[in-house]
Amino acid sequence: MSDLQPAQNDSTPVSRRGFIKAAGAGVAGASLLTMLDARQAPAQIKGTSLRILVWSHFVPAYDTWFDDFSKKWGEKNGVKVRVDHIPHLELPARYAAEFAAGAGHDLIYFVGQILTGQYYKNLIDLSDIADGLSKKYGAWMEGSKSAAQVAGRWFGIPDFFIAIPVLWRKDLFDSVGLGAPNTWEDLRKAGRLLKAKGHPTGMQFSHCNDANHNWRALMYGFGVKETDPSGQNITIDSKEMREALKFAKAMYDEGMTPEVFSWDDASDNRFLASGVGCWVHDAISAFRTTEDTNPKVFKETYCLPEAAGPAGRWNVGEPNVWAIWKFSKNIAGAKEFIQGISDSQKEAMLASRGYNMPFMRGQYAKPMPGLGNDAKLSILQEQDKITAFFGHPGPMTPQAQEVLTTFVVPDMFTRVARGADLEETMKWGVGEIRRIYAKHKAS
Amino acid sequence: MAEASAGGGAPPETSLSIALSRRAGVRPWWRTPTARRWVFGYTLLAPAVLYVGLLVGVPFLFSLYLSMSDASVGDPVARFVGIENFKAALESSTFYVALRNTLVFTVGAGILKGLLGTTLAFLLIQQFRGRKIVRALVVIPFTLPIAIAVLGWKWMFDSQFSVLNWALNQLHLIGAYGSPDWPVWLGQPGLALASVMFVNVWRGFPFGAIVLMAGMTSVAPEIIEAAKVDGASFMQRFRMVIVPMIAPILFIGSAFDTVFTLSDLSIVYLLTNGGPDGATEILPTLAYNTGIRGGALGRGAAISLFLFPLLLPAMILLLRTLRRRQY
Repeated sequence: MSDLQPAQNDSTPVSRRGFIKAAGAGVAGASLLTMLDARQAPAQIKGTSLRILVWSHFVPAYDTWFDDFSKKWGEKNGVKVRVDHIPHLELPARYAAEFAAGAGHDLIYFVGQILTGQYYKNLIDLSDIADGLSKKYGAWMEGSKSAAQVAGRWFGIPDFFIAIPVLWRKDLFDSVGLGAPNTWEDLRKAGRLLKAKGHPTGMQFSHCNDANHNWRALMYGFGVKETDPSGQNITIDSKEMREALKFAKAMYDEGMTPEVFSWDDASDNRFLASGVGCWVHDAISAFRTTEDTNPKVFKETYCLPEAAGPAGRWNVGEPNVWAIWKFSKNIAGAKEFIQGISDSQKEAMLASRGYNMPFMRGQYAKPMPGLGNDAKLSILQEQDKITAFFGHPGPMTPQAQEVLTTFVVPDMFTRVARGADLEETMKWGVGEIRRIYAKHKAS
Repeated sequence: MAEASAGGGAPPETSLSIALSRRAGVRPWWRTPTARRWVFGYTLLAPAVLYVGLLVGVPFLFSLYLSMSDASVGDPVARFVGIENFKAALESSTFYVALRNTLVFTVGAGILKGLLGTTLAFLLIQQFRGRKIVRALVVIPFTLPIAIAVLGWKWMFDSQFSVLNWALNQLHLIGAYGSPDWPVWLGQPGLALASVMFVNVWRGFPFGAIVLMAGMTSVAPEIIEAAKVDGASFMQRFRMVIVPMIAPILFIGSAFDTVFTLSDLSIVYLLTNGGPDGATEILPTLAYNTGIRGGALGRGAAISLFLFPLLLPAMILLLRTLRRRQY
């Protein structure tokens, strides 16, 4: 009977895109299997179960890859893996609950809000993994220590950070005779000229993550130091901070509309993709959104790793860090998983379409996966050299974390943009920050 | 006495008294009908007391403990710091902004919900075709999961793609996107607070209407008719007949609504997270961002406990009025 079945048509034409997709999937699958085979996990974790809590990634394809990786890793090592994805803003409340209960996930993940400083007494020391990874993949970026170290010991393993570059429209810049932007001053000028033509710019003056990161990038570019390198003494009350605030007000007045006061983390993605915005300061998810939703605008959208200010170029990244509770029921399994996922950084970066920026210098060898072959994004391959994190130049201490989550810095920029007196704003903002630091010192 | 005589000779005094008491039916106190009634009553009450104690009392006492300690999310060993956390809250200007917004939010939304709920209740008790469908439709906002409802409103208030603005623009009531008279619902301080209040009212007033309707249907039509015969106008009937009769239900409904509104975190958190520049900051969002996201549990608990003195007098007043009306 089988002979009577119609034969498979082997000569079905394969499109170039289809071929690349199939080949890519094959290569990715094969490399994943090779990578998983390369390391033999300790026998003690066989037959155990591992519960992992992570965020819902901004690039859904990455979550698909991650879940597949976890499943295959579990099958190979004889571990029953369960992955829970929740929105990143809900993670801190979840950790507080797990910590209070003394039970929960075996492996956890800090996103943006780095809680290593708060929980380190209850986290496993992962210095052995961190040292091993740095030997394998080159030295850790300086900022990674701020995210995961307390008193020189690693209580977390940095996974990746999110770069937040400038995404700008070449056609619009050309229309007013401007070349590729390089400095904050260039961006201000573009906003001024293009707002008049119906193409304003925008950065969030609101209570969202992007507002915290974007204004800090401007601040650091203007030479503002939030604290001293120890992270214990506030140094934000400075001439540089005043200059940054003045500049932001001018940039708002000349190039933005009041909608920026209502923006959330995704508003600038839509603003760019709609074709209205002349430039935004956002993660490359905005670039990808535009690619998927408005090819015409995407064709004209380019990337600048970061704008330079009078004191240099500082991109403020959003870090992501693995950690293990001391009460985890499968510490060995969790450590092995961290090792496994860290060893597959290249595949992860590819799956995230270049979104996941590595923390180790050796991983910046060109061409980087997802970026190196992209004509517009290959410019991001030296992001490690210009990236800082909140609290800069100090570490991400609990007090820096509280300043971040209570949005004191974006509120200072909002007040000044709305016309509040600069000195009054400085007095208010510095007072709030001092109060937070004083309370942490007292306790 | 008969038994004692039958035995011959005088019985000892104690035996006599025992016999007397037995005969008279004297029982231990716990076997008296009064005690048994008490025991029965308290046994019935115990689950409710236990429930309230465990789910309200214990967390309240725990919050009190946290608010007077330097507890942080990652440090289980906390020191007693007295009223330091309360002082820290009072030293922050953000706290006063949050307090003011909380009061405006609660009182403003409460009044609007009262007015709209009453109007809706009057409309819904009328006889008209399709009343059942309309009744079912109006409770939808109250029954929708809050996160979904608020995300829907977030889109409607979007600065660029707001369907409200589009409709207003089509009616030539506002200018085009990008013009100065294009409202930025969640970005302009006054509008932002009004917007979060509006969503709270939209979600809450059907509940008020249902409570009122339940009360109104319990008022005998003869009483209303009698008031009409006596020449009472609609407002007089409402104010002097209906409201006094349904007052207990109204008070309970108001008490619930006040508590729900005052402690409403979700709407503000999802729409604005307290921004821009604290324009919509309320005590629950400030407490959450300080205590959970910022990790300072003690200070977060202290901020949230400022709700207690706001709520307590209102609740006492409502419950006392209610009790007075019952007797």
